[in-house]
Amino acid sequence: MSSDGTTLRHNALVYDSADEYLARAVPFLKAGIEAGEGAVVAHTKPGLAMMREALGPEAARVTFVDVSAAYTRPARTLAAFHEVYVEQLRKTPTLRAVADVQFGPDPDEWDLWTGYEAAFNRSFGHLPAWVLCSYDANGTPDPIIEGVWKTHPEVVAGDSWNSSDRYEDPDQLLRRITPAPPPLTGLRPVPFGSGAEEFRERLARELAADKISEARSLDLLLAATEIANNAMQHGGGIQEVRVGRARGRFVCEIVDRGDGFDDPAAGYLAPREGIGAGLWVARQLTWSTEFFHSPTGFTTRIWL
Amino acid sequence: MIAAGCGDSDACRKLVEAFLPAIGDLARSFKNSRVERLELLQEGVAGLLVAARRYDTTLNTPFWAYAAFWVRKAMQELVAELTRPVALSDRAVRELAQTRRARSEHLQMHGVEPTTDELSRATGLTPAQVERLQATERTPRSTQEQLTDRDEGTDTIGDTIVDLTAEYAYQQVLDAIEIRDVHNLTEQLDERERIVIRAHYGLGQDAQTLSAIGAGLGLTAERARQIEAGALSKLRAALSQSAPVGEAAT
Repeated sequence: MSSDGTTLRHNALVYDSADEYLARAVPFLKAGIEAGEGAVVAHTKPGLAMMREALGPEAARVTFVDVSAAYTRPARTLAAFHEVYVEQLRKTPTLRAVADVQFGPDPDEWDLWTGYEAAFNRSFGHLPAWVLCSYDANGTPDPIIEGVWKTHPEVVAGDSWNSSDRYEDPDQLLRRITPAPPPLTGLRPVPFGSGAEEFRERLARELAADKISEARSLDLLLAATEIANNAMQHGGGIQEVRVGRARGRFVCEIVDRGDGFDDPAAGYLAPREGIGAGLWVARQLTWSTEFFHSPTGFTTRIWL
Repeated sequence: MIAAGCGDSDACRKLVEAFLPAIGDLARSFKNSRVERLELLQEGVAGLLVAARRYDTTLNTPFWAYAAFWVRKAMQELVAELTRPVALSDRAVRELAQTRRARSEHLQMHGVEPTTDELSRATGLTPAQVERLQATERTPRSTQEQLTDRDEGTDTIGDTIVDLTAEYAYQQVLDAIEIRDVHNLTEQLDERERIVIRAHYGLGQDAQTLSAIGAGLGLTAERARQIEAGALSKLRAALSQSAPVGEAAT
């Protein structure tokens, strides 16, 4: 947390062994517990078992989160952690968390998760939380560790807390790693209709024609409603809607009449006073949601 | 694969059926881990479904090459969790000894393994305490024992019955898929809200007008619309809770 304990402090712990992990993480959590803060540990099942044992009786005051299936898409992972933190902050005014991050094996997706870490700074920037992201240095490729230094203002490595001189502004990093959305051909126009309800009815027919499952259809109907409402309230109304299949996924593009916005963290910001939650909801329910300027207008492309 | 990643139950089942033999092959590499094959397969399936939810079809890596990492990781974590050394307090060691004595006496007297409740009654510990203590002394499965003590490379007893075990385990894993957590927002709605949303938007059935839906429920079209609006608001609220920042914690 910041020095006054009111906003996010997002640090990383790069450890070489389980002993080092425990030697750093356990005192960190215990100090918080002693001060009346909440405590959260997010790790794989063996990591949680190890931490429970090391914490001893204090484990009863810690919320344990199994991350085995948590890292699927950045927006969903942020939402999952947000739910845990919200629950904890209902019980304690502040919290400390140690969260193990699960990168995958494919170098082509490492940027996505480095982007997740960058977005975390803005997503939870308002929370009175001190989050220590843990990385096992053994077997973790250098580009991922390099990303750790770019996305955490402070990194614990060896015996000390180090200010990262490689820390990059989250927006700048997100812009750098986010590829420009390629144009999609083959999408078909769908008239928007007279309002959100008629739009959903038409979209539902397209989803049924594409044999999208019931649960996923509802996800898209909700996500598209949020985007459409946003376009009507802030984007000057709906210019065009297109749907179809691309790369095996159902895609819905909503083009509005406004100037659009340029915020690489749009939809990653956890709900809070003064910020609409529509884009946050849309991202959680979809594989990916992109915002960009196209020849027809400011476009939101939803990938189911 | 994409449908499975999206939580479509049928697609999940097909994906698991297609890759279960490959998961079984990976499980074989953990045969000396003292963890049951069925448990390994179940964790492997969980790893496969995580991979499906993460896998981006635009990656250059074939799906199984990507998924094998998550399957192996899930199995490794299970093995690490179940076979890790456990440090017991002095009191727990005494209780464990007490439980072992009670088990031994029961076996001598009745010739069958005691139930948890029977051990609980014999030791005065709660059933939950007995279960926790039993979990700490997970013993090697007999099917993992070497057929001969002299040759380390020889097959295990389990290997000799692997086909039958595997087939049974596969079926159990496939049956268990049905109960895996699948993201479905409609579960957050009450029955009437679910009826209105599904009927209006033709989810799993033909779409109907709000008038027709209302008539079926004995309501006006406007009331059906209100129910739908309430349902959508409820789902939105569930997905957009904010933290009680600055409020006094209860």
